[in-house]
Amino acid sequence: MRIKRFDRNQRLFHLFLMLTFLIQSGTGFGRLFITTDFGRSLSSIFGGYEIALVIHFWVGTIMMVGFTVHVVYLVKRIDRRNLLNSILGPDSLVLGPQDAKHLLQRIKWTLGLDSHPKLDRWAYWEKFDYWAVFWGLPLLAVTGIMLRFPLLTTKLLPGWTLNIAGLLHRAEAILAASFIFIVHFFIGHFRPHSFPMNEAMFSGTVHLEEALEEKPAWVDRLKKEGKLDPAMAKPPARWFRVFYFIFGYTALGFGLYILINGIVYGRYIQLH
Amino acid sequence: MGGALGLLIGLAVFVTILPGTAWAQEEVTSPIYQYRQKEMSTGYYEQHEASPLPYGPTTGGQVLREGVLTLAPTAAPVRRRTYLADSHQGLRFYRRLTCIKCHPRGALDIHTRRARLTCRQCHGPEPIAGINHYYSAMNSSRRHAYICAKCHEGASVSFATYVVHEPSAQSLATRESFPTLFYTYWGMLLLFLGTLAFFVPHSFMVGLRELVNPKEVFGEMMSKSSRFVRDRIPIYRSKLNEVHSKAKKERDKENMENEGDHAD
Repeated sequence: MRIKRFDRNQRLFHLFLMLTFLIQSGTGFGRLFITTDFGRSLSSIFGGYEIALVIHFWVGTIMMVGFTVHVVYLVKRIDRRNLLNSILGPDSLVLGPQDAKHLLQRIKWTLGLDSHPKLDRWAYWEKFDYWAVFWGLPLLAVTGIMLRFPLLTTKLLPGWTLNIAGLLHRAEAILAASFIFIVHFFIGHFRPHSFPMNEAMFSGTVHLEEALEEKPAWVDRLKKEGKLDPAMAKPPARWFRVFYFIFGYTALGFGLYILINGIVYGRYIQLH
Repeated sequence: MGGALGLLIGLAVFVTILPGTAWAQEEVTSPIYQYRQKEMSTGYYEQHEASPLPYGPTTGGQVLREGVLTLAPTAAPVRRRTYLADSHQGLRFYRRLTCIKCHPRGALDIHTRRARLTCRQCHGPEPIAGINHYYSAMNSSRRHAYICAKCHEGASVSFATYVVHEPSAQSLATRESFPTLFYTYWGMLLLFLGTLAFFVPHSFMVGLRELVNPKEVFGEMMSKSSRFVRDRIPIYRSKLNEVHSKAKKERDKENMENEGDHAD
């Protein structure tokens, strides 16, 4: 028995972000590490040092268009008649005091000092994932535009701001990639509960049992609101599962390739 | 007539007082003076930079002899090397040195490492004028036009304030020379370390908890992915089978009790 967790739009946003993020990581780190063998190999996948920059710029532009569409989507999803609940309610990704409570309880749970928190639709680590991307994307976009158009930038700002933009762009990229390739991958796919893959974002559904285990408050709420039955969904087709397993693991492998080589070759590059 | 003569003499004296001219960008602007042609070069960066030709006659001003740099403390700021027409004048064994021998960080920036520029493509041929020398192409009053604009067409004065040879961002000295860079670096580093310092151990602890005590996590209802783990990892198989059989017994017991209650 499966229950719907993500709708088509949400899955499309994730797929879009996944693809653009991986391309940006490949082209960006390929250029950052270009003085090393790893950087040259990575860049060569994207056509070399110069072409990688062109791809990086255009995919970044597409990413920002996607981000703008997402913001419009968010604004449209706000229920103005029920504004407070819409922004701070359990279906919202806005962090609230209950997240801090769940975090502390889960830390205690890992130490065997408390029971597992009864999580609602979004867990605190999922919210953190979301907001990390939400503030990281505009920062990368603004600094990226500054670096791409230095003459225009310096008509408005002093030239030394390009030094700061360069540092911020690289540091934020390293932070984002490290978080995704270490924490997000582990939480999403490698921890025993999710292994071999958390399929929710691809199939859009989760097992009801799984939801009851990890998000009992969400299932209870759906029951109370009479939304559980309409949320029931069919399992994904076998061919589709095979497809997204291959696709997901390819993405995962690519991310780990960048992460491991980034750590190995990190000493040969400078952040600024 | 006397006045005109006086003016000429005055101008001549004035010209001699002015600092000497500095070669700026001949190697780019002139097809004749290509420094690559003038110097013996193996094509490798270090060797290429190693043997400049003897100084040309354009080096003006006071030539300081080797070992006799006797400047008064008050004169030092004025005569700093960045103000000299030949910023390396008087240095011992200068002709045998490479640029990066004395300026190691100078070759670590994006221009030299990525765009593969050599020092002289911006700083000019020998004698290399100090960046603050009045006639130097590197002087901030014209750097944007004479140097930056070679590649960045349309570069402005503001553009030329980009710090090509960035100081080490983490260094304490940078707090004085480029504080924004210093604080940006440390801010981002703290954010990076703080994020990973929390989430990596946290994720590890969660993973460990799920691994060593599956009962609380999986209960008796197992997701397909959890079954995947159970079926492939022996320790899980035995542990979970044990948990499941115990849970089944408890459930059966409960059912029996309930049935008993109903029968009564």
